[in-house]
Amino acid sequence: MPRLISPLALALIGVILFGDGAYIHAKAWLAQALLERAFDRSIATGQPVKPWSWADTWPVARIEVKRIGASAIVLAGTSGQALAFGPGHLDQTVQAGERGVAVYAAHRDTHFRFLRNVAIGDIIDVTRNDGRRFRYRADSSTIVRFDASGIDPAATHFELVLATCWPFDAVTSGPERYLLHATLIGNRK
Amino acid sequence: MDHHDTVDSDEHPDEHPWLGGLIKVGLFLLAQSIAVLLVSFVALLVSFETSWSATTEQASLLQPGDAKSGSLLLKEDGATTEAIRLGTDVDITVSGPTLRTRVTQIFRNPTRDWVEATYVYPLASDGAVDTLKMVVGDRVIVGDIKERQQARVIYEQARRAGQKAALTEQERPNIFTNSVANIGPGETVLVQIEYQEPVHQAGNEYSLRVPLVVGPRYNPAPIVQSVDFRNDNSGWGATNSDPVPDRDRISSPVLDPAKSAPVNPTSITVHLKAGFALGEVKSHHHNVKIESPDNMTRVVTLVDGTVPADRDFELTWKPTAEKAPSVGLFREHLGDADYQLAFVTPPAAEQAIQKPLPREVVFVIDNSGSMGGTSIEQAKASLLYALGRLQPNDRFNVIRFDDTMDVLFTTSVPADAAHVGEATSFVSALQARGGTEMVPAMRAALTDKLGDTNMVRQIVFLTDGAIGNEQQLFETITAMRGRSRIFMVGIGSAPNTYLMTRASELGRGAFTHIGSVEQVEERMRSLFAKLENPAVTGLTAKFSEANADVTPAIIPDLYRGEPLVLAAKLDKLAGSLEIKGRVGDRPWSVTLPLQNAAEGKGLSKLWARRKIGDAEVARTLRERTPEDTDKTILALALDHQIVTRLTSLVAVDKTPSRPEGQPLKLSQLPINLPAGWDFAKIFGERPQQPPAQLRDRRADAGEPTARRPAPVTPDAIRLPKTATSAELEMIAGLIMIVLALILFVFKRRQTLLADAA
Repeated sequence: MPRLISPLALALIGVILFGDGAYIHAKAWLAQALLERAFDRSIATGQPVKPWSWADTWPVARIEVKRIGASAIVLAGTSGQALAFGPGHLDQTVQAGERGVAVYAAHRDTHFRFLRNVAIGDIIDVTRNDGRRFRYRADSSTIVRFDASGIDPAATHFELVLATCWPFDAVTSGPERYLLHATLIGNRK
Repeated sequence: MDHHDTVDSDEHPDEHPWLGGLIKVGLFLLAQSIAVLLVSFVALLVSFETSWSATTEQASLLQPGDAKSGSLLLKEDGATTEAIRLGTDVDITVSGPTLRTRVTQIFRNPTRDWVEATYVYPLASDGAVDTLKMVVGDRVIVGDIKERQQARVIYEQARRAGQKAALTEQERPNIFTNSVANIGPGETVLVQIEYQEPVHQAGNEYSLRVPLVVGPRYNPAPIVQSVDFRNDNSGWGATNSDPVPDRDRISSPVLDPAKSAPVNPTSITVHLKAGFALGEVKSHHHNVKIESPDNMTRVVTLVDGTVPADRDFELTWKPTAEKAPSVGLFREHLGDADYQLAFVTPPAAEQAIQKPLPREVVFVIDNSGSMGGTSIEQAKASLLYALGRLQPNDRFNVIRFDDTMDVLFTTSVPADAAHVGEATSFVSALQARGGTEMVPAMRAALTDKLGDTNMVRQIVFLTDGAIGNEQQLFETITAMRGRSRIFMVGIGSAPNTYLMTRASELGRGAFTHIGSVEQVEERMRSLFAKLENPAVTGLTAKFSEANADVTPAIIPDLYRGEPLVLAAKLDKLAGSLEIKGRVGDRPWSVTLPLQNAAEGKGLSKLWARRKIGDAEVARTLRERTPEDTDKTILALALDHQIVTRLTSLVAVDKTPSRPEGQPLKLSQLPINLPAGWDFAKIFGERPQQPPAQLRDRRADAGEPTARRPAPVTPDAIRLPKTATSAELEMIAGLIMIVLALILFVFKRRQTLLADAA
C-alpha cells in the first residue's frame, strides 16, 4: 500500500485542481441559467430582480450576437463575484442606449469566449432590464492596457464597448485588454 | 490486494500465470478509477469552498493602494467609496466695509446607492455663517439655527427616516463640515450657505480672502494626559490623552495629485462695490477677468470658468486716491439696537524723529512635511530677506522645527556679519520633512534668556499652520508670552488663517500672509515696517452719549499701516466716538460724530462674531471659565443666528425620499492637496511609481498664467480583470492525473514483476 500513496496524492491534487477549474466554468454556466430567469422576471416587472437572495448584483441587460448564436446576461458592476456569474456593466459608464459609452466586461474564457468570433459588421442586440432594446453594429476592435483604455466616459456619441482579456488563448492573466467597439444603429421598443 | 494475489496463485497453480495477472491488473484499475471518481466528486464539493475564498481574496485586493492590479476601484465592498461629485460656486458681494459670501455646493450622486455625503471645507475665520439653504429639485428648504447637539439629533432622525437633510457644523472657526443625507441615485442636491465678513484693510490696500481647501493637518501624538472621571463618583476614570480629540472631523481623504485629476471645481464671482473710486484691483493666485461698470464698481470672474479647489482666492483693491480714507464709520439698525463699525487708521509716526529701539528678534521657521514644495521656498526666501534687514545693534536667533527642533544659537547673538552668515547658510540648507510639533518651538522662542528690558523682543514665526492642536499653541502663548510679541507669517497656498490671526492677537503682534514667492519681498517689507516702527499703544474708545458694548473689549496695539477696527452695539445713535492713544511717545486722539455714519449691511453679525472671538480669547487667557464662555457664545449665536462651535444650522426636507429598507452609504468627499504641497512629504512614499504622464507629484504650484488641468475631467475608465484561472487549473489538474496514472501503472508493473520472479 505505501507505494500507492504518491500516485494517489498526485491524483488527488490533480483532481482538485481540475475540479476547481471545472467549477468556475460550471458556475459561469449555471449562473447564466439562473440569470435568464431573473432577467425575464425583471423585464416583466420592470424592477431589478436579484437572481438569488444573497446576490449583491442583478441583471441589467441581455446581450446577443445572433449570427454566432451567442447570448449572455449582463450584471451590474464588475466586482470579482459579479464577473464569475456573467459579464459586468462598468458602473461609472452609461447604460446601453444612453448618450456616451457603455462598457461591458467579461472573462475571456467564459462569457466573452464568443468575442473572438464576432466579426466587424456583426449586429449586437442589447435588451435592457426595462425592456428597451438597442441594436449596435461592431465597427472596430482595439488592444489596450487596462489602465489606458482610451474610453472617454464623457463622449457624446452612442457607443457600446465589450471588453475582455487579451490574448484570447493565454492561460495567465496579463495587462492587455481586447475592446470591441460598436455603434448604436437603432432602437426598438 | 497482495493477499488476493497469493490466494489466486495457490488455487490455480498450473493455469497461465500471465493471464491471471492481466485480469488482476484490469480489476485493480477499475477499482482505482472508481476511487478517483469518488475523490473527484469530493474534490468538486471542496472546490466550492476554495473557489469562493479565491474570489473573495480577489475582491479584497481592490484597495486604493493596489490600483495597478488591474481591477476597477468601486465601492462594491465598502472599502473604496466612489466619490460623490461636488461642484462649488462662490458668489461674493462687497459693499463698502463688509462682504457677503454665498457658497453653493452642488452634490451629485452618480452611483446607484443612496448616499450620505460629508464635506469638510474652510471659510474665512472671521466670517459669520448665518444662512443654510438646501435645494432639492424645485424646493428650497431653509435651515434653522439650533444648539449643536440638538441639530445633530434632528439631522440623524431625518437621515434614518429617509428624508433629505443638510447640516452645517463648525469644527474650527475656519473649518466647517456640511453633511447631506439621502442623496438618491443620480440625484443632485444643492447646499447653500451664506456668511458675512469684514473687509480687511492694511495701509491703503483692501482685501478679501476665500480659502478653498483645508490643508491636511498634523495632529500630534498625545504627551500630556488628562483624566475623565466617571459621573458616578466612583473615583474611577479613563485618561483622555488626545490633544486633537476631533481629529477625524477635520481630516478628509486627500487625493494624490500624481494619481488623480483635481476635483471639486469651483467658480468664483466677486461683485465689488468699494464705496470709493477704485484704482488697482488684483487677484493674487487666480487668473481673473475684471469688468468695470463704473469707477466704483468691479465684477471679477475667473478666466477659466472653474478652478480646482486647491488654494486660497485672494483679491486686493486700492483707491485711486494717493491715500486711502483714514476713517470709515458705518451703522446698522436692527431690532431695538444700533450697530456701529469704525475703521480708523492712526497717522504713521515719522521715523526720523525717533531712533528705533534695539530689538531682539527670534525667527522660527517651520520645515515640516506640509511645507514641502513651494512653501518652504517662500519661507526660506522670507527668512533670508529678514536676516538681511537686521541692524548691527539688533540681536537675533533662529529656530527651525518639524517633529524635531534646532535652536541655532544658545542665546540670541548680535546681528554681525559672521552670525548672520552662519544663520543664512543654516536656513539655506533646510529641507521640508517630518511632522509639525509647533508647541515646543513656540515655547523655545518665548523663553526670554536675555531678559534685557532695553530691547524690544519680537518673534517672527513662519508656518502654514497645518496643525490640529491650535488650542494647545494658544495656551502656550498665553502662559509664556511675557514681554515678547509674536508676528505670524502665514506661508503657502492654503494657510490656517485662524491659527495665524489668533496667535498674533494673543501674542500682541501682527499677521502677514505670503502666498507666493513674488509676494515675499513686498509683504516682508510691510512686516518690517511693523517691526521697526513704534506701535500705536494705549488705545481707548469712548462713546460720549450712547451706552456701548464695544469689541474688542481691550483694544490691541496697532502696527504701522494697520487700522483700528471697532464694532459696537449701541442703545442710541447719538453723540460721538472718541479714540485716544499714543503714536510712539506722542499722544493722539480722534473724534467721530456718529451721525455721519453711513448705512452698512450685516454689521450686527460681525459684532456678534467678534464678541464670540473675544469670549474665546478670554477663555484661553483664563479670564473666564469655560462654562461662562459657553453661555455667552450660545446666547450670542442664537440671538444673531450664526454658526459657532456650539450651534449648527440644520435643514430637513419633510418629504421622505429614500424608500424604507434601502441602505444608505456614507461618502466622505475627498479634497485636493493644496497647491504647491508635496504629497510624499506628508503621506509618505507611495509603493508604486505613478504613470509617466503624471510623474510630477507636486500639486500644481503654477502661476496664475499657467494652464491647469480642467478639474471636471472624470476619472479614466479602468478595465477590470477578465481572465479566470479555470483553464490553467484544468490543464494542470489533467496533467497531474495523467502523471498519477502513469506512476501507478509503473509501480504496479514493478510489483507484478517482483511477484512473478
